[in-house]
Amino acid sequence: MLIILSLLTGYSFVQAVNLFSQASRTALQYPEMARGMDPYRGVFIPTFGALYLVTTLLFPFTAIKLISSEKHSGSLKLLVQSVLNLRYIIAVKTAALTIGWLLALVPALSAVAAWGMIGGHIFLPEVLNLVLGYTLYAFVITGIAFFAASVTSSTATAAILTLAFTLGSWVLDFAAGTQSWLHSISSVSLTALLRTFEHGLFSLSTTGQALTAALGFLVLSTVWLNSGTKLRWKLFRSLVVITCSVMLSVPVSELRVFDDVTENRSNSFNPADEAALKQMNEPLTITVYLSREDSRRHDYDTNILSILERTVPELTTIYPYDSTGSLPGTVSDDKYGLIEYDYNGIHDESWSNSPGEVLPILHQLAGQTVTFSEVQQYPGYPVVTDAGSSNTWFYIILPLVFLLLWWFTNRLPRNRKKETQ
Amino acid sequence: MNLTASSSEYLQINNISKHYGDIQALKDVSFDIRQTEILGLIGPNGSGKTTLLEGIAGLIPLNSGTVLHHGKILSVPHRKQQMFYLPDGIMPYSELPVSRVLEFFSRLFGVQAHRMNTVITQLGLEPTLGKKVKALSKGFNRRYLLAVALLSTQPLLILDEPFDGLDLRQMLGVIDILKQTSSRGRTLLLSIHQLADAQRICDRFILLDGGKLLGMGTLEALRTKAGITEGGLEEVFLALT
Repeated sequence: MLIILSLLTGYSFVQAVNLFSQASRTALQYPEMARGMDPYRGVFIPTFGALYLVTTLLFPFTAIKLISSEKHSGSLKLLVQSVLNLRYIIAVKTAALTIGWLLALVPALSAVAAWGMIGGHIFLPEVLNLVLGYTLYAFVITGIAFFAASVTSSTATAAILTLAFTLGSWVLDFAAGTQSWLHSISSVSLTALLRTFEHGLFSLSTTGQALTAALGFLVLSTVWLNSGTKLRWKLFRSLVVITCSVMLSVPVSELRVFDDVTENRSNSFNPADEAALKQMNEPLTITVYLSREDSRRHDYDTNILSILERTVPELTTIYPYDSTGSLPGTVSDDKYGLIEYDYNGIHDESWSNSPGEVLPILHQLAGQTVTFSEVQQYPGYPVVTDAGSSNTWFYIILPLVFLLLWWFTNRLPRNRKKETQ
Repeated sequence: MNLTASSSEYLQINNISKHYGDIQALKDVSFDIRQTEILGLIGPNGSGKTTLLEGIAGLIPLNSGTVLHHGKILSVPHRKQQMFYLPDGIMPYSELPVSRVLEFFSRLFGVQAHRMNTVITQLGLEPTLGKKVKALSKGFNRRYLLAVALLSTQPLLILDEPFDGLDLRQMLGVIDILKQTSSRGRTLLLSIHQLADAQRICDRFILLDGGKLLGMGTLEALRTKAGITEGGLEEVFLALT
């Protein structure tokens, strides 16, 4: 897995750097274009994409093997009769997998280091937040894989069950645009968890929910690994664990602690705008007359609503077309495209989905006058460089290191007879 | 024979029943295990021996029945304090060298290195220490598993088919080791389907067939129950079934 990851990461990194360099050639001549050259989105996100693929498709098998091999070889029957209990066994397995995960981070992190060495700009908080997001993603997958291995009788079935969760998230994201109830479920999909961090946003609620889900699955694993318990007790205990996890995740989801860790503050408005929005203590209702498939709706949700949800204390959003399921081009309503704002008995409306036009409307509704704070403009970091020198590292050295590591951990002991006598 | 110790009851198994759907694997099986005795669980393949042992060890749920330790109910979570069960047909940590696994279990059971070395020597495992478990022959694999069991420290040792895969000389060696283990104060419950093998080592016998207890006691007691005056365990078993 690590060797494949190394090769994939190397390929992703070199491709991303080449594309970034090509775009930078023009951007270096025009400062306005240069501001759009963000190494985080241009290089790091694509490079970490290799880690996403491996974490989604290969990492679960490593996790499953840890439990399944113990079950099928009979080791587990011996272990549970020792001083170890199942909670301890699962904790140790998780710790072992954490070491594996840290090794899996080496290719991606070495790509970040390589980027710095060839003259690229690194904004560390963005990278650390991305690593945290991936680590949480891997932790949830670990929980799911352990649970799947615990509840099923064969490794193949466990793999299918785990992939149903991971690949099911892709299906859910794809299907979210078709049905409102699928859209609601897709907000808790595994890819949604990762997307928050990929956007450069640290969210305490997302972090807490991921941890709750992962721990919930790990506890469920201990319930189902206990072969001496009757099925009805396992079901009852599972119900208790699920209920507790859900009850815990509800207050956790209400934690409104966010931090925009991006250097270009892409997840934030001007600080003065945000300060004014936080003072809107009355309920604000926004009615968006756009269907889910409309790109304007996507832009509005991404650039305005996602930030308003974190700043305005009481925000309600209504999408009238979600309930009717209208498709773009089929809507004859004159209101289609309109966005209405209702605050404290005052109504306003606009056709715009640009923060520059929407925010003044909101400030006017709240009766506030906002003076923009001076913030340092993001300069952008265009760089024309070549990542070819890192090929040797990703394609030869790193795979060899992983191979040697495997050999070292699997080698047979020398002169063991003498040592034990 | 350990006649002195056999008067002291260690465990009481009461009315154990287990069914898988419509199939009754065990039906109201009751017997006692005496301190430091070697008790043989005898029965043909499919008679419910493994189910009974796993049920006693708490590794599978039972439909009914209790396990009493000195008269008190021994709950499933507490059974591992009193007994260690070695299942048949397992190959734990097949990718690891034998020495590493035995060191691991020694640390797990809190056993000193010299004790581990004694067990290795007793079972003649020295040539296999550097080999991976999966590379062991059937006989060595059985002895490797027995080593794991002998490293455990619980007072009751339950072994499922401990002689399976051993040749006659190896089996006699293992019988000797198990008798020594018993004489040092451990109680043994052995599941054996070869009646002649069982007769070589066991103090008392439990005869199981079709999930039901046919008889229990010494060979003499079983002969009496079967209504025969002479003959071995095979004759007794045939007379009772």
